[in-house]
Amino acid sequence: MSDSQGRTPSAVTFHGSWIDFAKIALPNVLLTLVTLGIYRFWATTRERNYLWSKTRFIDEPLEWTGTGMELFIGFIMVLFLLGVPFAILQLVAQGMIFQGQVAIAAILVITMVLAIYYLTGVAYFRTLRYRLSRTYWRGIRGGSDDQGLTYGFSYIWKNFAAAIPLFLLYPWASISLWNERWNLMSFGPYRFESNARWTDLMKRYLLFYLVPFLIFAGIFIAGVSAGMSGGGGGNPFDSAGGIAAFTLIIVGVLAMYILVPIAALMYYSKFFRVAVGGLRLGDLEFEFKARSPDWILYWLGNIAIMGLAYGFAFAPFSAFVFASPEQFAQKIEAGETFMTAGFIISALIAIIPLAFAASIIRYRAWKFFAVHMEAYGEVNLDHLTQSETEVSSHGEGLLDAFDVGAM
Amino acid sequence: MPTFFDAWHFDGKSAVRRKVEVQTVGNQFYLAELERRHGPFAFADLEYAGEQGDASVYKMGGNDGWRLGLVGNVPTELVPHLPAKKTYGGWIDRLGIGPASAVFAIVSAAVVAVVLFSPQWLAPLIPASVETKIGDALIGDFGGRFCSTPKGKAALAKLTNALDADPRDLQVEVANIDMINAVAARRKVILFNGLVSQAKSPDEVAGVLAHEIGHVREKHVMQGMLRQMGLAVVLGGFDGNGGSTLNGLLSTTYTRESEREADDHSLKALKSASVSPIATADFFRRLSAMDGSAQMREGKERAMASYTSSHPLSDERRKLFENSVIKGKAYRPILSSDEWTELKTMCAQDRKVKSGWGFDFE
Ligand SMILES: [Zn+2]
Repeated sequence: MSDSQGRTPSAVTFHGSWIDFAKIALPNVLLTLVTLGIYRFWATTRERNYLWSKTRFIDEPLEWTGTGMELFIGFIMVLFLLGVPFAILQLVAQGMIFQGQVAIAAILVITMVLAIYYLTGVAYFRTLRYRLSRTYWRGIRGGSDDQGLTYGFSYIWKNFAAAIPLFLLYPWASISLWNERWNLMSFGPYRFESNARWTDLMKRYLLFYLVPFLIFAGIFIAGVSAGMSGGGGGNPFDSAGGIAAFTLIIVGVLAMYILVPIAALMYYSKFFRVAVGGLRLGDLEFEFKARSPDWILYWLGNIAIMGLAYGFAFAPFSAFVFASPEQFAQKIEAGETFMTAGFIISALIAIIPLAFAASIIRYRAWKFFAVHMEAYGEVNLDHLTQSETEVSSHGEGLLDAFDVGAM
Repeated sequence: MPTFFDAWHFDGKSAVRRKVEVQTVGNQFYLAELERRHGPFAFADLEYAGEQGDASVYKMGGNDGWRLGLVGNVPTELVPHLPAKKTYGGWIDRLGIGPASAVFAIVSAAVVAVVLFSPQWLAPLIPASVETKIGDALIGDFGGRFCSTPKGKAALAKLTNALDADPRDLQVEVANIDMINAVAARRKVILFNGLVSQAKSPDEVAGVLAHEIGHVREKHVMQGMLRQMGLAVVLGGFDGNGGSTLNGLLSTTYTRESEREADDHSLKALKSASVSPIATADFFRRLSAMDGSAQMREGKERAMASYTSSHPLSDERRKLFENSVIKGKAYRPILSSDEWTELKTMCAQDRKVKSGWGFDFE
């Protein structure tokens, strides 16, 4: 119906405003706080309702139909099916160590770690499946009939295999897992096809991999030559060369904190271009247009927002301590409940700006993806019929419990 | 009398958008296109699905992907048939966000209060046999690391008898582990050999032992366990860092209080055994030199340290024990020098005891 090749505007557009989003995020933070965190499942749903509805694919907006209740049920399921058994196993392992049964304790712990790794893989898969099955466009949704149980094993062995040659095969593992995941997903009657090539990523990955070594080597060479030119033994800090070498160390440490994240972002940038570029759905092809500078700006923005939030979070708290540190310390040590209560209340208040900032960052992440996403090809609306995939009734519980990231 | 009203519609079977007219007939309605009519549908099956641009969107229970978008002002005849709009979710929309928040805040505060305060009276209700069983299951015999010589055990029993009115249900052991530490678990008190062998006098060991007995008598371990479990459940709703930070803050507040209670217990026991607390004060002086609290004279650093540590600062505890010395009181050493030597060398003398943490896979 709509051919978006050529000079036509982008197939994916975003029409939200962060002020409108803030009007959703602030009450969310308040309600989450007073419900001891339970409202966050409904909060997430409200955020997504907004973000999806402000994102248009060609001519119609997306629609998010997930509910807070299903996320909540997912969370409770994880708590009882995994949390409780793991807590008991941990206690047993501890007891074994106390009783000198170290070998059995070690086996227990290794089994637990493997189980968690497996479930993390399954959780990645199910999150994607859940999100697709709750995303509607023109009344049509996506999904998958696979449970992700095989994917969990792939997740273990591919990551393990990538680690053996000193993590050099990491791009292979991530791309091949990406392909495996997407090849099992569908939208409407169409299956996704994912054929991203990991070899396209290797140059960027090697850059990221080598940056720390290059920085060290650079500092070492510069430091040695500076030290030589300074000449004359004794205390190295007395000589001009010694001071230069010292400055170099500081520069080097700063470089680590700046260059390493930048190298990581450059890798990410390439990863998404390669991964999304390998994706097809029926006659549609996809492209992710963000380049390294876009990613770096996006990342700096997030850092600025978090910095600001931490400022706001600790202002009331520090006022409380800095007003009179000595008196404060004495009262705390004397165990005064009034001070303890005050302290806990300021800690609760500190949650507000932090949680709000986290919301705004989720907004930026979604916007970043929507703005840079592009699709080419044709959609035949008569052929785009309803998905036959099963709909899972639980939400992202598995994923939330392991906290493996949002996007 | 049918009503006609412009709307858009997706039938959920294909992605084609249909321009339709809503035709109301009693509790049912039809959606009419130019040459086709969909329906009838029951108003009762409609669910509110949110806003989209200037349209209110409705979905239909049991019809995957079915959508009806009503644009602009809905005619008054139609309004009573449509389900209510939702903003925050059922309860909150009914109460309004202000009152609902207040109700939630009160309930949450009450729940937290119950979790924090109930262990104090719940812990004593747990029968001793259950406590012993949990203790045995978790600790057992420390993998054969309890030191034992007849004379050493006799000296240990003498210490215990002097410090506790009725020590029959207490099991005090020295574990062959080279750490300056002691633990109380249910009815067991375990002194690590590192603590015993570095001690300058038996009075010092007495002070620490009495402190641990204090934990047993005040049921701190069971209380702590109940409180931890309760907080983990109640604050489990917060994700990741928020919940665990709060949990940590609340529970360290309580452990610090328990430590203070155990110290008070120790001081009372020392007093009734006529043992001077000065040796224990000296022990804390050495500890505070190690943990650096003696140097943190005042200011922010000290304030932060007193918040984040689970124990009161060693330097503070030194002062407490030092100030409890009664001038002119006739103190006597709790063990004779022979007995003290036997206790101190018990682990060295015991040939059968296992040593260390035993990562040697026996
Ligand atoms: Zn203690």
